[in-house]
Amino acid sequence: MKIEIKNLKKKFDENIILKDISMTIEKNKSTVILGQSGCGKSVLIKTIYKLFSFDNGSILYDGKSDVEIDNFSMLFQYGALFDSLKICENIAFTDFINNKTNFDRKVLSLMNDVGLDKSVFNRYPSEISGGMKKRAALARALYKNPKVIFLDEPTTGLDPVNSDKINELIINVITKRKITAVSITHDIKSAIKTGDNYYFIDAGVIQDKGYCKNILKTKNKIFKSFINGAKY
Amino acid sequence: MQFIENIGVILIKIFSNFGKFILFILFFLKYLFKPKFYFKNNLSYFFRIFVSSIPIIALTGIFSGMVLALQSYTGFSRFSAESAIPNIVVLTLTRELGPVLTGLMISARVGSSIAAEIATMRVTEQIDALKTLNTNYYNYLVAPRVLSLTLALPIFVTLVDFIGVMGGYIVSVYRLGFNDNLYLLNTIDFLNLTDYLSGIFKAFVFGFIISIVSCYCGLFSDKGAFGVGSATTNAVVISSILILSSNYFLTELFF
Repeated sequence: MKIEIKNLKKKFDENIILKDISMTIEKNKSTVILGQSGCGKSVLIKTIYKLFSFDNGSILYDGKSDVEIDNFSMLFQYGALFDSLKICENIAFTDFINNKTNFDRKVLSLMNDVGLDKSVFNRYPSEISGGMKKRAALARALYKNPKVIFLDEPTTGLDPVNSDKINELIINVITKRKITAVSITHDIKSAIKTGDNYYFIDAGVIQDKGYCKNILKTKNKIFKSFINGAKY
Repeated sequence: MQFIENIGVILIKIFSNFGKFILFILFFLKYLFKPKFYFKNNLSYFFRIFVSSIPIIALTGIFSGMVLALQSYTGFSRFSAESAIPNIVVLTLTRELGPVLTGLMISARVGSSIAAEIATMRVTEQIDALKTLNTNYYNYLVAPRVLSLTLALPIFVTLVDFIGVMGGYIVSVYRLGFNDNLYLLNTIDFLNLTDYLSGIFKAFVFGFIISIVSCYCGLFSDKGAFGVGSATTNAVVISSILILSSNYFLTELFF
């Protein structure tokens, strides 16, 4: 699914979060959104997901303003698995709460795809590690075969080895399933590895955009400072 | 001038929160009668509340009945009216103490846990996750809690009434020397169905108040550990105040 965002504006009370955002999320490509904490990245993807309304501008999904939310899935920063449910029930959540019971095979297949061991099938989220939670959350996001997957800082809180594994997993999943991906990250290494296109947001506007493979060659001063970790 | 401005800000905040709360109740009622109704979820929540609350309910009932019998004796013995103790114990428990004490205890036991659980879900983005999974949180989170508690509280109050009367019986018979048959006979003869039903009606109202307030405080909590703490405290304090104040108007209704 191709998503076109034009002159998007979003505010909470008098606080303007997104001033003027225009961007295109290409079909079956991986788009990375970069920016400092609090610059509005999460608000942007939640607005695209239709979890928030917006004040001005337009969002077109394959040329239409209406879209079924079932086409989307999201991997949250810390997984957001439901504590009271087992891992298998979390992954097959939509079927589980509708009292459908024949989801075991699909869940096991997804667990295999994301590299989760069968032994966690009946465990609770509090009983598994952070990396496993991310994998389980990714499996849950893939359960409904989405056309677009949103990834909110997928490697946050993981050590470098596990971060790399999650990045590999994301690339595999996106390529294999031909899904459009929109991810938020602070991690330049992850952006270069997993993304096709990038957008850099600062102060509610897009400051820079381009191909992820060219991130380190950017001429934008603010983005350069962001990459180098300097204050601007 | 600053003082008046501050009062204005506080008043606006209070009224806007009140408006938000009324809207929350209206949305709850709207989605309550709409699909989807998660029967399994509702039933499991009902049993969860029920099992976890029985011990404190039993303790509340027995000690209230025992104290009531002792205190009534202190007063009535001055007028040589000790025989009225069974009547006073059963009337006070069914009409007043049963529903109010149960409401306050359940607000502390269940209301706080509802608010803390939902606020934690909000902080950890589980509420957002529900939305992304196309699941309405009024149906999935609010309805089971409100329905379960509204239906469970009358059962709890019935238990408190019964155990409380038994507490009064134990003290009256084994401590104050009452005739056991006479005590039970006085209790049963004196009690009207209206007395019991007025308490049960209060229990329905209190159950609804505790659950809806707790869900609201949890869902609209501030972020972070402080937010979860405030949501829990607010749920218990607001529920308790609403129970005590609405109790007066409900009592007027059945006066």
